[in-house]
Amino acid sequence: MKTAAVLFLAIAFQALGNVFLSLGMKAVTASGSTGIAHLVLVGLQAAGSPAIWLGTIFSITFFLLYSAALSWADLSFVLPATSFGYVLNIACGHYFLHETVHPARWAGSLVIVFGVLLVSRTGQRTTPAHEAVFEAAGGLR
Amino acid sequence: MITAMMILLVVLAGSAGDVVITKGMKEVGEISTVRPGELWALAKQVFSNKCFLGGLALMTISFFAWIAALSVADLSLVLPATSLSFVITTIGAKLILKERISRMRWAGTVLVCAGIALISLS
Repeated sequence: MKTAAVLFLAIAFQALGNVFLSLGMKAVTASGSTGIAHLVLVGLQAAGSPAIWLGTIFSITFFLLYSAALSWADLSFVLPATSFGYVLNIACGHYFLHETVHPARWAGSLVIVFGVLLVSRTGQRTTPAHEAVFEAAGGLR
Repeated sequence: MITAMMILLVVLAGSAGDVVITKGMKEVGEISTVRPGELWALAKQVFSNKCFLGGLALMTISFFAWIAALSVADLSLVLPATSLSFVITTIGAKLILKERISRMRWAGTVLVCAGIALISLS
């Protein structure tokens, strides 16, 4: 329950972060040139964009919640579980930004949901806890 | 060429970062409090953990490679790279973190990859 709550909150912040980063970067990269000079210019412009800052703060919040979940659950559990964020991004784009969503995207979302359901049915931790390593060494399963 | 290099950097640095951060967080131990004082003490512990900081550096590299890639290429090209990192990270979790990946977990992870690939086709 704790894992589900923390991961859902993390995913929500990630989706919001992506929306703002996407908005910000689309505004920044209007020029057509490429190469190192272009990348430096993009970096400077990005640093002055409020949308990029907001997107970055949300992304950091996501990262802190994600790290917290990793303190008790498997990486191979948490990582696929957070992929539900893709579905949330597409749904948000459809309902709030009125984006047209290609049928293949809805199909892809459905496949991701099935994948997350399968992963969520496996135990969230398969390694012994740090403090319990000694006592568990003999008796764990 | 620059796009391919950026995508490789996103995937490799991201996967390595995930594995090392998990190692660090497991060293710190389960966070099971919401009291600000205790959370602050835990945060100090986390941000002085070498594995966590190393993972953070790798994730930072991955993050900048990601926004750089997005500035020169379409999301529909960069996104499949993310799906690849799910498999690479899971292999890392198995080999380095000794997590047990059951068949159901592998099946779910592969479905997630397939789903992301499907999304990026459209």
